[in-house]
Amino acid sequence: MTVRRFHAEVGTAFATAGLGIAAVTGAAGLGFGWEESGPQPGYFPFYVGLILIGASLWNLMRAFMKHRAAVLHERNSGEIEEPFLGRENLGRIGMFLAAMAGFVIGTLTLGVYVASTVYIAWSAWRQGGYRLWVALAIGAGFTIVQYVIFEVIFKIPLLKGPIEPLLGIY
Amino acid sequence: MTKIKTALLTAAAVMVAAPAMAEWAPNRPIEFVVASGAGGGTDNFARTIQSALTRNDIVDAPMVVLNKGGGSGAEAFLYARQNAGDPNKLIFGTNNVYLLPYVAKLAYTTEDLQPVATLALDEFLVWVKADSPYESITDLIDAAKEAPGTITFGGSQSKDTDETLVALIEQVSGADFKYVPFNGGGETGVQLAGGHIAANVNNPNENIGQWQAGAVRPLCVFSPERMAESEPIGDDMGWHDIPTCKEAGLDIESYQMPRTVWLPKDTDPEVVAFYEDAMKKVAETPEWQDYLTKTSQTGAVLLDEELASFIQTNEDNTVKVFQAEGWTAAE
Amino acid sequence: MGNLDLLMHGFGVAITPMHLMLMVGGVLMGLVVGVLPGLGAPNGVSLLIPLTFALDPTSAIILLSSMYWGALFGGSTTSILFNIPGEPSSVATTFDGYPMARKGESTRALTLAFMSAGVGALIGVIVITLLAGWASNFALQFGAPEYFAVYFLAFAAFIGMGSASPAKTLVSLTTGLLLSTVGMDTVTGEIRLTFGLDQLLSGISFLVVVIGLFGIGELLSTVQEGLRFRGVGSKIDLRDVLRTIAELPRYWATTIRSGLIGIWMGITPGGPTAASFMSYGIARQASRKGEAFGTGRPEGIVAPETADHSAGSCAMLPMLALGVPSSATAAVMMGGLMIWGLTPGPMLFATKPDFVWGLIASMYVSNLIGVILVLATVPMFAALLRIPFAIIGPMIVVICFVGAYTVSSASFDLWLVLLFGLVGYLFTKLGYPLAPLVLAMVLGHKAENAFHQSMILSNGSLEIFFSNTLVTSIMLIALALLILPKTLQLGSRLRRKAPVE
Repeated sequence: MTVRRFHAEVGTAFATAGLGIAAVTGAAGLGFGWEESGPQPGYFPFYVGLILIGASLWNLMRAFMKHRAAVLHERNSGEIEEPFLGRENLGRIGMFLAAMAGFVIGTLTLGVYVASTVYIAWSAWRQGGYRLWVALAIGAGFTIVQYVIFEVIFKIPLLKGPIEPLLGIY
Repeated sequence: MTKIKTALLTAAAVMVAAPAMAEWAPNRPIEFVVASGAGGGTDNFARTIQSALTRNDIVDAPMVVLNKGGGSGAEAFLYARQNAGDPNKLIFGTNNVYLLPYVAKLAYTTEDLQPVATLALDEFLVWVKADSPYESITDLIDAAKEAPGTITFGGSQSKDTDETLVALIEQVSGADFKYVPFNGGGETGVQLAGGHIAANVNNPNENIGQWQAGAVRPLCVFSPERMAESEPIGDDMGWHDIPTCKEAGLDIESYQMPRTVWLPKDTDPEVVAFYEDAMKKVAETPEWQDYLTKTSQTGAVLLDEELASFIQTNEDNTVKVFQAEGWTAAE
Repeated sequence: MGNLDLLMHGFGVAITPMHLMLMVGGVLMGLVVGVLPGLGAPNGVSLLIPLTFALDPTSAIILLSSMYWGALFGGSTTSILFNIPGEPSSVATTFDGYPMARKGESTRALTLAFMSAGVGALIGVIVITLLAGWASNFALQFGAPEYFAVYFLAFAAFIGMGSASPAKTLVSLTTGLLLSTVGMDTVTGEIRLTFGLDQLLSGISFLVVVIGLFGIGELLSTVQEGLRFRGVGSKIDLRDVLRTIAELPRYWATTIRSGLIGIWMGITPGGPTAASFMSYGIARQASRKGEAFGTGRPEGIVAPETADHSAGSCAMLPMLALGVPSSATAAVMMGGLMIWGLTPGPMLFATKPDFVWGLIASMYVSNLIGVILVLATVPMFAALLRIPFAIIGPMIVVICFVGAYTVSSASFDLWLVLLFGLVGYLFTKLGYPLAPLVLAMVLGHKAENAFHQSMILSNGSLEIFFSNTLVTSIMLIALALLILPKTLQLGSRLRRKAPVE
C-alpha cells in the first residue's frame, strides 16, 4: 500500500477545513457581531475560521489541478509519480507511531516510569539489536535518571501507576 | 457532629502538646493545587503557607505546588472534582471557588469542594492617577454621573472580583463607568500610572509600588474599618490614613476578597481537622505575619461554621450584583 | 554617569564567593531546565522560590536570574540538535540551527547560538545600565492600542515575506490563531471553542503544540527517511569552536539590528519569543540571499539568539521598575519579589540600590559564566548525536511527552502532543510553513485582547490606532513591513520582465 501526495494533500485540506467549520459553528454560538464596545467574543474566531475554510478550499482545488496534470503526464510519458509514502516508509512510520501510542497508553495506565522503561528497552532490543538484558538496563537507567531529575531535584510529580506505591514511591 | 469537632478543636488549641488529636496524618506528598498561574496572588499565598509549614515543622510530608490557573482558576476546581476523596490535595483559591459557577458554565459545583479555612482578607481600594482631578470618591462618582460611560475603570479579568466591585459601585451610586478588563492587577496598575485609564480597584500590594513613587494615589478602601497603621508610603500617608469608602460617602460597607483553602469533597472529618489545625498553626508563624504585613492584607482565620457563614454571606451579596448585571450564566 | 557609579557599587555587591557560587549553580540548573522541553524557565524558577526564603533578596534574585539565563542558553541546544525547542523563545533558532546541524556542522551552530546569545545579553544589560530611568518611563506610554501595535508589528515583520505558498501560509496562520482562542477569554470572560471538553478550558498550551509540531514531527520525518540522525559523524573539535568565534564579527550588522529589536521588544510588552521571531523575519528580509534562509544560514541563528537574549535581559527592567513582567519567567520572579517583601515599582531603584544594581551587575557576570559553561557542554551535547537512533529516538520521545506533561500536569496534553506530532510531520512534508502557526499561537490571543481593550476605550472606533505619535508610528512601520517587501518583489519582477519584451 502506498500513499500518493494527492491523497495527503486532499486529506489535509479536508482536515483544516473541518477545523475552520468547527470554529465557525462554535463562534456562531457566542455571537460574532460588532457591538458598541467592540467585537463580540465570537467575532474573531468566526472570521478567522471563514478564512481558514477559504484557504483550505483553495488548497483542495490546487491539489486536484496538480493531480490532473500528473495523471495526464503519466499517461503521455509513462513516468509514474513518485509516491508520497512508499510501502517501506509507511511500515516504518506505522511501527514507530504504534510504539509511541503504546507508550502514551502505557503512561496513562501504568505510569510513566514503567512505560518508559519498557518502551526504551523494547526499541533497543527489537530495533537496535541489543541483547535483552542490555536493552532493559538502558531503559531502567534512563528511567532512574528521569526520576532523579523530576521528582528528586525539581519535585515535580509525574504520572504514576499501580506499581510505584508498592515500592513506596508516591 | 460539627459541634463536637469544634469542641475538640478548642480543646486541642488549649492543650498544644496533644499530638494524639489529629488521628490522620499525610503519608505521602501533599499536592498544593493553586488556582492561579505562577507568580499570581493565590500562588504567593500557597507558597507562603508551604514555607511556613515546612520551616516550622508543622507538617512532615513533602509538599509540591501545582499551578492550575486556567479558566480563571476553574482548572484547579475541576481537578478537585476529579480527585474527590483524596486527602493529599489542598486547593488554594479566593472566592472564585464559589463564584465562578455563577458566571460561567462549568463542570463543577461548589459542593465538589470542602472548605477548610480562610486565612486572610485582601482589601480593595479605589485608586486614581496622582495628578487626576478627583480628590475623593464622590468627585469621581459625580464626574461619572455628569458624563456617563466615559470614565474608565481598569481591572483584572472579566466578571471577576474587580468588575463585580465596579458594578457594585455603579449600582449603589447610580454612576455609569466604562470597565476595561486587563490581564492582572500589575498590568492594571501600570495602565493607571501611564494615564491610560482613569481609575482602578487594585489590592494594596498591586499598587503600592506606584503609590510610593507618587504615580497613583488611593481614594478610599472598601473595608468596615480603616486599615492597620503603617509607615508612611506615599504623600506622607500610610494605609491607616486612607478613609473607608463608607466614611467618604459611598455606601458600601465592605468588599474584601478571602484567601481560601479547600479539600476535595468526601474526605474523612479527621482529614479536615488535620488541615484546620495546620492552618491555625500557620496563622501564628512569623512567616505568615510577615506575609500579611508585606502584602497589606488583613489576617482573618475563619474555620468551620464561621467559615460557612462567611462564604454564605459573601456568595449571596455577590450573586445579587451578578443578577443585577445579568451575568449569571443561563442554565 | 551616576548609573555607572551605581553599577560599580553593584559589582561590589554581586561579586562575592557566595554569589559567584549561586550564579554557577543557577546557570547549571537553568541549563538542565532549558534543555528539557516543557520544563521551562518559568517552571524551574518557581520551583526554586521556596529555596530562596533562606537567602537575602539580593542573593535570591541572583540565583533565580542566573537560572533564567541558563535556561535561555540551554533552550537553544535541543533546538539545534534535535529540532526540539527547549524554551518557547528558541523556536526561531530551529529554523536555521537545525538544518546547519544536519549538514554536520552542529558544533558551529551551537557555538554561533551561544556566542550571539551572550552578545545579545550583553547589549541588553548595557542598555539597562545606561537607560534604566528613561526606559521605564517610556514603557509607561504603552496603553492597549500601543500593545496591539507592537504585536501587529511583530506579525508584520515575520509574515511579510515567505517562500511557501500563500494559501498554505494562510492555513497555518489561521490555525494558530484559532488554537490561541481556545479557553477563557480575558476581555469577555467567555469560554470559547472548548466544545464542552473540560480539558480545553485552560486553553491549548503553546509549549505542548510546539513540542508536538517540532519534536515529534521531526522524529517522524527522521524515521521515514531511515532510522538515523543526519548529523552523525560531525567531528567535535575545540578548534571548530574557536574558528566559529572568529567568524562572528562578520555578522555585525545582523547582531546590532537584532540587539536593537530585542531591546525594543524587551522594554515594550512584546517579550523574548516575539523578539526572536521578529528579528529572524527582518534578517531574512534584509538578506540578499533571503531565499536561502531555512537551510542553515549563520545569520538565521545569530538573529533570533541575539534578539532573544537582549529581550530577556531588557525584560527585567519593566519588571523591576513597573511591575509589568514581559515574560512568563519575569512574572514568576516578580511573585518572588513580593514574597521577599520587595515591591516592584519606580521606587525600587531608589530604595533598594543594593538589590537592583547587584542584580544588574550579576547579569554581566552570570551571562559570562553562562557562555563559558554552555560552550563547555557543546562537545557533550554534540556527542549525543552519535548514540544509535534506536536508543536516542525513543528517549527523545519520552522526554517530549514528559516535558509536555510537566507544563500543566495534564494527561490530555499527551494526546495533544501525539496529534500535533502528526500535524507537524504532514505540514512539513506538504510544504505548509510551521512558523506562522507558532507565532500566531504566541501573539494571537494577546493581540486580540489588546485590540478588544482598545475598542472598549474608543467605543469601537479604529481611529484609536492612529490617535497619537507613538501608536501611529508603530502602526505605520508595521504596515510598511507588511506591504513594502511584496511591492519591491513585484517591482523587481516587472523590471526583470521588461527587457525581455
